[in-house]
Amino acid sequence: MSRMVEITVDGIRIEAQEGRLLLPVLLENGFGVPYFCYHEALGPDGNCRMCMVEIEGSKRPQISCDTFVSEGMEVRTEGESIESVRRRILELELINHPVDCPVCDKAGECSLQNYYMEYGLYGGRVGRDEKLHAEKRVDLGRGVLHDRERCVLCQRCVRFCRDIVGSAELCVAGRGERSYITTVPGRKLENDYAVNIVDLCPVGALSSVDFRFKKRVWFLETTESVCHGCERNCSIYADHAQDFDGVERIYRFRPRRNDEINGHFICDEGRFGYRELEERHMESCRVAGADSDEKEAEAKARELIERASSIVVTASADLYLEEMKAISEFALKIGASLHIPLDGYDDPDFSDEWLKCSCRASNRASVLESGIDTAYPKLTSSDLLINFDHPHISSSEAKRLDIVSLEMDGGDEADVTLPLSVWSRRSGTMISRDGVRQYCGNILPPARNERDIYGWIDTISRWKDES
Amino acid sequence: MRDVKIVSARFDIDGMYRLDTALKEGAYSTLEKAFSMSGREIVDMVHRSGLRGKGGGGAPAAPKWRLVADDESGLDSVVVINCDESEPGTFKDRQIISKDPHLLIEGILLTSYAVGAHDAYIYIRGEYRPFEKILRRAIDEAYEAGILGESVSGSGYRVDITVHRGAGAYICGEKSALLESLEGKRGHPRLKPHAREPEWYFGRPTLVNNVETIATVPYIVANGPEAYRGYGTPESPGTLLFGMSGHIERPGIYEAEFGVSMMEYIERYGGGVRGKAGLKAVIPGGASTPVLTADEVKEARLDYESMRALGSSLGTGGMIVMDESVDMVGVLENLLGFYRYESCGQCTPCREGTGWSDRIVSSILSGEDDMGGIDKLMELADTMNGKTICVFAPAVAGVIKAFVEKFPDEFRAGRGGGR
Repeated sequence: MSRMVEITVDGIRIEAQEGRLLLPVLLENGFGVPYFCYHEALGPDGNCRMCMVEIEGSKRPQISCDTFVSEGMEVRTEGESIESVRRRILELELINHPVDCPVCDKAGECSLQNYYMEYGLYGGRVGRDEKLHAEKRVDLGRGVLHDRERCVLCQRCVRFCRDIVGSAELCVAGRGERSYITTVPGRKLENDYAVNIVDLCPVGALSSVDFRFKKRVWFLETTESVCHGCERNCSIYADHAQDFDGVERIYRFRPRRNDEINGHFICDEGRFGYRELEERHMESCRVAGADSDEKEAEAKARELIERASSIVVTASADLYLEEMKAISEFALKIGASLHIPLDGYDDPDFSDEWLKCSCRASNRASVLESGIDTAYPKLTSSDLLINFDHPHISSSEAKRLDIVSLEMDGGDEADVTLPLSVWSRRSGTMISRDGVRQYCGNILPPARNERDIYGWIDTISRWKDES
Repeated sequence: MRDVKIVSARFDIDGMYRLDTALKEGAYSTLEKAFSMSGREIVDMVHRSGLRGKGGGGAPAAPKWRLVADDESGLDSVVVINCDESEPGTFKDRQIISKDPHLLIEGILLTSYAVGAHDAYIYIRGEYRPFEKILRRAIDEAYEAGILGESVSGSGYRVDITVHRGAGAYICGEKSALLESLEGKRGHPRLKPHAREPEWYFGRPTLVNNVETIATVPYIVANGPEAYRGYGTPESPGTLLFGMSGHIERPGIYEAEFGVSMMEYIERYGGGVRGKAGLKAVIPGGASTPVLTADEVKEARLDYESMRALGSSLGTGGMIVMDESVDMVGVLENLLGFYRYESCGQCTPCREGTGWSDRIVSSILSGEDDMGGIDKLMELADTMNGKTICVFAPAVAGVIKAFVEKFPDEFRAGRGGGR
């Protein structure tokens, strides 16, 4: 199977592994072959019939998704006869399609639309009144909506739930042109990875309530990033855009293929992890449990630093590796002990057999690599605790200064709380539970008037030096 | 032309569906002989008889049997009987299961023994409920008499038969869709394998044969392959339960040997075309075979090779006879309505093409279409041909092309009103 052989595609000789499927080989070598049902993670299904190519010696065009590479194979992806086959099958995908691209969220990243622009460009031969109509908004569960008119029945969604997740909530019902995707009677989508089917959908049939009607995709900028939801560190794309109010916002996270970590997919909780960055972003300073202006809070914080004789530092296990190093040096310099306790991050209810890990400390491996003490600090002999964003530090006998990116859900309030920019506005290295290092650049620029870890270290060091 | 009854020999005997009558009439008499032979010897017998699959495709039966008999996976093989008889114009298998069900059971026992299978499944068309009852009763009787079960007629060889009723989908007559359905899934045809291999039922090597094919096996075992070859042509040996419906004096199923003249067959058994209108056309072997004009019918002989030479196909041998009163556009619309409804919806060309072609023909029929419809229709037929997983869409394409090309005057534009 692993022998390399030579094949010819449109007169160009390429090397390919014998016995591999032809379609991915063509795609990897830059040949344009349209397809709906094939997907690298799901394999071939052979239903859309779009990926047809001509193979020397075959009477009829063959679907390249179910053809194996063999020595000396001669393939044609271009030429009038194969292009006309492609055009006609594409036309059939469109005869009952509503062509409602102007109100479709997929417009701009839709395979059907792209193929029409590339291979079609004919006038419709079926009048608008002749088209079959079907339900436009079927709630499949988990915030996924299905538009039956736009569906090309490639069954990627059905296969994902059946073959990848194993929950098999989806099926095809009806027959012929009245076929439609639906949930199995009595069920709804209920798996923790369901929203991946929205990415898998090559057309606008599946949409996520979370993103629906929020932004035209051509306004979005994409930045590679890493999910901070657990120690898996799934690779993601973050799509963001400047809003009409001039504020840059993240609109969605999508999985980014990484065969070392998450393959093609991410869990739904990670996907929606962008929401809290805005919703729970700690914006104001707080002093003794009440909102405070920046000046007052900083003055109070400075007072705490100046009066402290014995300091303990804690930090979050979600910080980047470089930030942890900087905090280590800072702690050493001010003669404080540093702790990143890991206990509080354990969340067994979250974990599963696939991507979701019970340890929600996204950069736990960096903590261990840095050799930082993971025990809970003893606070009795100290008079000040400086906490860099650790969400699970409870009350202390000592005074407490918190530097926090997201609002805490409950817990004890520090004497002074200062805001830290959120992870999407900072950058650094993450190490996954399996030891894969990824650099996570900032998705959005640092917010004005907001300091990152280094900024706060500088500030506090200066207070300390001046005291 | 001579009369011959191989499969239908006992159809006219009163109460043949009952085991006591069947035993009196010689049912299961081949078992003793079969169990004295090896399974391989029976496969060879079938090979030498030239038996061809009688479900419509006409592929030689023995190579399929060999694939299962020779399978080296070590898994128990399975025999599946395709009784999902849904092809319009075809009603032969139901004659077997209702008139002589023990013949089918005997055939299943021989086949299972030949290919080394112990489990057989009969996949029966959902709408065949009344016939299914007769078949089930026969199976029950055979179990009670020890003909089925742990030790078939005391041979020590186990065969169990399970009847599974389909939910009424035409496509489940396609063997791989049938197996999907039998596995409890949606009846979608499977992608074709890249090399010659048996079918698979839950991962077990499986032989799928039509009811009539299996019902022919007892005759071959009893009388030897040469006896079967004594009928038909060298390429299409033996007989088929040909049938007639439509404008015919005596519609029904009448067995005949391959190679006889279609016209003679229609005259001899069907009593000729009904009424005075005269013959216009015949759909030769179930709705999915290309229609023949009256002139072609005069040339036609009922064997696979002759029908292929005429550009059509013998199919199931279920002829639909039409007289001059028939509007061919209306017939095509009727057929396309069926295909539109029965396409499984898996492959794009079939899913969308059957519906669109039906709409186009409807508009031609109602006279609403301008000349463009026929061009669109022919182009569509071309798109549906050879670009799908199974042969459903190519068959529809062949049907459309034959109607339009053979009756061009009727498919002219602006025909004003139709029916």
